[in-house]
Amino acid sequence: MQIPLTARNTSSLVIDSLCDRAKREDIAVAAMYCDFLSQQDQTITNIMGAILKQLAGRASIPNYLHQAFQEGKVELGGRGPRLADMMRLLRTAIASLPKVFICIDALDECLPKCLPELLESLRNIVRESPTTRIFLTGRPHVGEDVRRYFAKVVVMPISPSTDDIRNYVEMRLDRDPEPEAMTNDLRADVVRVVREKISDMCVRLFSILTLSIMYTYQRLCADSSLFRSTWTLF
Amino acid sequence: MSGEDAQVMRWLSPLEPNNRHQGVRNDRFDGVGDWVLETNEFQEWRDSMGGADDAVLFCSGNPGVGKTYLRWGAGSSECKFH
Repeated sequence: MQIPLTARNTSSLVIDSLCDRAKREDIAVAAMYCDFLSQQDQTITNIMGAILKQLAGRASIPNYLHQAFQEGKVELGGRGPRLADMMRLLRTAIASLPKVFICIDALDECLPKCLPELLESLRNIVRESPTTRIFLTGRPHVGEDVRRYFAKVVVMPISPSTDDIRNYVEMRLDRDPEPEAMTNDLRADVVRVVREKISDMCVRLFSILTLSIMYTYQRLCADSSLFRSTWTLF
Repeated sequence: MSGEDAQVMRWLSPLEPNNRHQGVRNDRFDGVGDWVLETNEFQEWRDSMGGADDAVLFCSGNPGVGKTYLRWGAGSSECKFH
């Protein structure tokens, strides 16, 4: 069963919650989703540029960016910014803002050779602008890399809570294509059994858990079209 | 946005994280994961005006691509299914 609480969803939740605050408070939020499929485009310079775009492009684009663009255009047939240039521009943008949040999702999907440079660039930002907050997500093994650059990083494991499971199961039941087969009692049973079975299985293998829940469903729903739709939960 | 403004934006980076954010947001399920925003870790990180030491919050977990990852409970009593 794929409970839909992932680090990626958490990133999007955190970003939305910060953006909601940005409507009331004087804060700025920039986000970046690293992606295996876009690794070639997701160079450190482009990532920092994407963060800069979000921070500096909130109102009219500041003059220093127009100036940098014009200067870049006349050099070597219009080269793109170098990382050092980009970091200088980013520092200028951050210095003009009271508080900045930078969110980077899925560090493990960044090219391995780029990750140290990305973390170092973030560390430089924080050192120069200590009120900047950095939100990162990634598979657990990336935690070691993060710690190397941020010794006091707070690590929070992301996993579904009991409420997440209940919400998810109820949502799936709401989408049952044949709702007339559902009764309040059966619905309550399904939600209860899924939660109990998952709790019971703390000491067992997940594969056995899945089989066990499927069997329980089969018994609960044998005479109901519900079985067909809930089967797809697993 | 004027023509030159758009050119400046493209020059800064070809990446458009906002588009990706919309896609991820559309895949989210209402109510799932809201507890994260209520944790002390998140709120202290968000509200602190402190220095570089407590600047970073790292959420570790599965990005949600093809693998099942379940962790149950909290603290020392937690059970993990990878």
